[in-house]
Amino acid sequence: MLEHILSILIFFPALAGVMGFMINKESMRAYGVSVATIEFVLSLLLWFSFDNTVSSMQFMEQLPLIPSFGINYILGVDGISLFIVIMASLFTMIGIASLTETPNVKNMIITLLFLQMTMVGVFTALDGIVFYVFWELSLVPMLYIIGAWGGPMRIYASVKFFLYTFAGSLVMLVGMLFMAYLFYQATGRWSFALFDWYRLVLPENFQLWLFAAFFIGFAIKVPMFPFHTWLPYAHGQAPTIGSVILAAVLLKMGTYAFIRFSLPLFPDASVYFMYPVAVIAIIMIIYTAMVAYAQKDVKQVVAYSSVSHMGVIILGTFALNVEGISGSVFLMIGHGIVSGALFLLVGVIYDRRHTKLMSEFGGLAHIMPKYATIFGIMMMASVGMPLLINFVGEFLSLLGFYAQSHMLTLLAGVAIIVGAIYMLIAYKRMFFGEVTKEENKNLTDVNRRELIALVPLVIISIWLGIYPKPILEPINNSVELVVQTMHNKATTEDAKMRIPNISGVVISKTSMKEDH
Amino acid sequence: MEKYLYIALFAPLVSSMFSALFTNGAKKQFVGVVASLLIFSAFVSSSILLSNILNGGEVLHVEMMTWMKSGNLYIPFGFVVDQISVTMMMVVTLVSTIVHIYSIGYMDHDKGFNRFFAWLSAFVFSMMILVMSDNFAGLFIGWEGVGLCSWGLIGFWFHKNIATWAANEAFIMNRIADLGMLIGIFLVYWNTGSLQYHLAFPAMAHLDTSTLTMIGIFLFIGAMGKSAQFPLHTWLADAMEGPTPVSALIHAATMVTAGVYLVIRSNELYSLIPNVGLFIASLGAFVALFAASMALVNRDMKRVIAYSTLSQLGYMFAAAGLGAYWVALFHLMAHAFFKALLFLGAGNVMHAMHDELDPFKMGGLKKVMKGTWIMMTIASLALAGIFPFAGFFSKDTILEVAFSEHHMIIYGVLVFTAGLTAFYSFRLVALIFHGEERYKIFGIHPHEAYKFMLIAMSPLLILAMIAGIFQEPFFNMVEEILGAMEYHIHSHVTVWIMLVGTQLFVGLAILFAYKKYYSWGSVPDGSSAMENSFIYKLLYNQYYIPFAYKEYVMKPYNDISAIMWEIDKKVVDASVDGIANAFYLTGEKTRDMQSGNLSTMLKWMVTGLVGLLSLAAVFGIATRYSDEITTILSGLGV
Repeated sequence: MLEHILSILIFFPALAGVMGFMINKESMRAYGVSVATIEFVLSLLLWFSFDNTVSSMQFMEQLPLIPSFGINYILGVDGISLFIVIMASLFTMIGIASLTETPNVKNMIITLLFLQMTMVGVFTALDGIVFYVFWELSLVPMLYIIGAWGGPMRIYASVKFFLYTFAGSLVMLVGMLFMAYLFYQATGRWSFALFDWYRLVLPENFQLWLFAAFFIGFAIKVPMFPFHTWLPYAHGQAPTIGSVILAAVLLKMGTYAFIRFSLPLFPDASVYFMYPVAVIAIIMIIYTAMVAYAQKDVKQVVAYSSVSHMGVIILGTFALNVEGISGSVFLMIGHGIVSGALFLLVGVIYDRRHTKLMSEFGGLAHIMPKYATIFGIMMMASVGMPLLINFVGEFLSLLGFYAQSHMLTLLAGVAIIVGAIYMLIAYKRMFFGEVTKEENKNLTDVNRRELIALVPLVIISIWLGIYPKPILEPINNSVELVVQTMHNKATTEDAKMRIPNISGVVISKTSMKEDH
Repeated sequence: MEKYLYIALFAPLVSSMFSALFTNGAKKQFVGVVASLLIFSAFVSSSILLSNILNGGEVLHVEMMTWMKSGNLYIPFGFVVDQISVTMMMVVTLVSTIVHIYSIGYMDHDKGFNRFFAWLSAFVFSMMILVMSDNFAGLFIGWEGVGLCSWGLIGFWFHKNIATWAANEAFIMNRIADLGMLIGIFLVYWNTGSLQYHLAFPAMAHLDTSTLTMIGIFLFIGAMGKSAQFPLHTWLADAMEGPTPVSALIHAATMVTAGVYLVIRSNELYSLIPNVGLFIASLGAFVALFAASMALVNRDMKRVIAYSTLSQLGYMFAAAGLGAYWVALFHLMAHAFFKALLFLGAGNVMHAMHDELDPFKMGGLKKVMKGTWIMMTIASLALAGIFPFAGFFSKDTILEVAFSEHHMIIYGVLVFTAGLTAFYSFRLVALIFHGEERYKIFGIHPHEAYKFMLIAMSPLLILAMIAGIFQEPFFNMVEEILGAMEYHIHSHVTVWIMLVGTQLFVGLAILFAYKKYYSWGSVPDGSSAMENSFIYKLLYNQYYIPFAYKEYVMKPYNDISAIMWEIDKKVVDASVDGIANAFYLTGEKTRDMQSGNLSTMLKWMVTGLVGLLSLAAVFGIATRYSDEITTILSGLGV
């Protein structure tokens, strides 16, 4: 089974989703939870069978789809993607388990299962076209979740989300086609396989254009400033479960793709664009943190804080050294856990009060102490308190980028100040002071179903904050390979200098055998 | 020995987690007792470690496990018990044991009793991490941890808006400094290749001065936040909104001295850059004077003591900056004893006075609170540096350092500040304990604190009196690691003149304070000439610095954030929608063409045909005469 575990992970939820149409409405929840749990257990199995010492791809599968164009169904997982896959299945599981009273719950669960297929597909696909297919397919369930279960402006928000990201990915598709064409010119055969592309050393001016094409697709997904405005609408209108999965997993597709595609394919262009991208990242960090501070709606605070944190992830990625990239991958996990938990927490109060305006709350710590405690822990994780999950990633990302630029890191470090400002003020507005509103006086504290979702996330936040090794080590090993690939491929003087040469890393045979 | 290290480190954590179990329940006396016992066990373990060091035992260095490992970066949870950290451990565990016991009484009627002990013990744990870590990242864990606990404890009474505001202020202001610290850490890593003290410091000897200066400055910026040095000092006075035991432990004895600890710990670095050291010393002397001046007129008992803490931190930085690290550490220790005592005494007074803080509304309390009166008087004597109390030995050595290093301005400022210190301390004592019983106007019936609280305070009382005798053994202990030299002024006559002169000056300041406030009769209402003088107003409003921060930092930040949001909606998002709308509109406007009406369609067909034909003609002609066109264009200079 292990040799096909990735295919199982991708298609099991989809198949179960199709079967779901035959399940009757009452038992749908139980069905959904069991499917998601099996999927989660399978993803854990993947982790346990994963060899931490190997830095290249594992559990690879290959099946020709359209051989004449070099399109193959290639899957594989390494330290960079492994944990995002696990996180995707974790969030689907706790998302379904903690689903509140939802109209059409059956459709919701089926949609979530389809979404899970696309998420796992994106993070395991190693063929350009297969990657693209999953990447685009992931839009559909999300469109449906926002459009069918969202707030008053759901149609606007969902269409905006769909068209914006779709437009970006089309540019990326053009880039991919061109990449395959270049490969054809160089070798005389078509290929969309990522490892074939890795071996292609492109002249710098080609790299710049291709980098730009991929960049637009990824940047909108992340979302990077100034392409971020779909996100507040999507979060503002999406139901809790939609926001959780969007923030925790879907946004990571963009940052993951930077590491999987942009960096190793275009090392010279990555160095060339390092400063502009870093400047955008810093704008994301400071500007959106200030916008977050100006918000009146707590969900928007968390939404904008997501953009701000994604800025740190981008910065770490473009540090182009092992510390920075490992940190950014780690922060992807950290941000997923923390922002997912924060959106769940916002959902808790929204279910009770049907409002997200902070001015409606105040003094909640008196009435809902458990809720206040969990929110407090997650808030502290979000502002990067050491021994909680986000700190490790933030620290490494900034540390890594410091090797590239002192001033820019100093500016990016402002993240720890502005992040504390909007988070603490929001927390004070919601939880501290006297209870002023009559409606708040009889609120119930978090119930069991909510705890099922929140407690694991709290435990993970603390565990990985204190002992990040289980996931930092495999991430680090795989990142070393990426950095070494980049160093080897770099052609310009500047790139050779800025991308460190990692002694001792043996480039194992990463490229696929040319067997067709 | 390792066993004791782990007990000292983790007993507070266990205590915190144990207390946290009962956070949501009703008050339970045993929570406080168990927490105090666990902290006491940490104290005992620290004492054993101290005696080990004193008896010439080896420096204990353990690595518990790896924390982060990526690329070349290796950060373990490593702990070191050397002469510096063991001193800090003793101070931290001793004061916190006392504060824990004291709090059982002080927080007696508070419904957050259990929660209080959870936070307080968590603070002790963070502080132990801070002082015991063997690397900068571990230090940073403790650094942020004490910040977090300080946030939780300042805002402990979270129903009070002013308390939570102060908590956030403290956290955010510390974060500003932490950025400096973080950058300092990055610099250390990329220049020395390690964050562990035993690797990083030796490697610094090979770096050039400008890099070292950068490292020194950025690390010191971190220290400025925690130790509330100008201009990041405003949070400390506002932090007095927290419960008084918190002020005694965190904002007097331990956390605020973390910055001093950092400089002492990095002595190998700062010894290489005397210019930065001089800057630190100058800033320290400035803060000593600056804070003392604000304490002169303040009408909030706790704030006066807070400013006095600030002022004493200035003394410590002055000593550390001048390279007298052991003197700074010694003053840190002595100060922890008498300042914690002073705060706890103030806590008793607050309890007696039903949380009244204005000393002008008290008076004559010595009749009802004899024990507290004696303790606060002795603590004030120690603070003023009167022989033979603790402050005399530690503070006088700092003065000697400044004198023997020939920094006469720093020396002068520090001596003058010593006089101010004596004045405001005894202004407070005189107003609270002597004179008419002004509290009667307000209908308050004061009472002495529980006996066990006074007993708990007594070790501090004893130490405030006798800590001077530890100077010699202390010096011998840290000499090796801090490369300490004794500061002796060669001429005995000079020494005696300095000693006696300072003592006289300070004594006169005390007498002056007593004379002025001993028999104070009325509560000032702001009408007297002094209260309307410019200097008084300036000092009373803390040089208008908090006002300036509010007006010129916080308000603009609010406004800019609001503007940013508007930009986000009206510029960034509007342009996205604009592009989308352009497509919609194009469709909207051109749909008339597809009306299905045959004659309209034919009309458009003809238009299209003509358009295409003319294009074809233009291109055809252009191709035919391309050479000529090129010539003409080049002739035009295109």
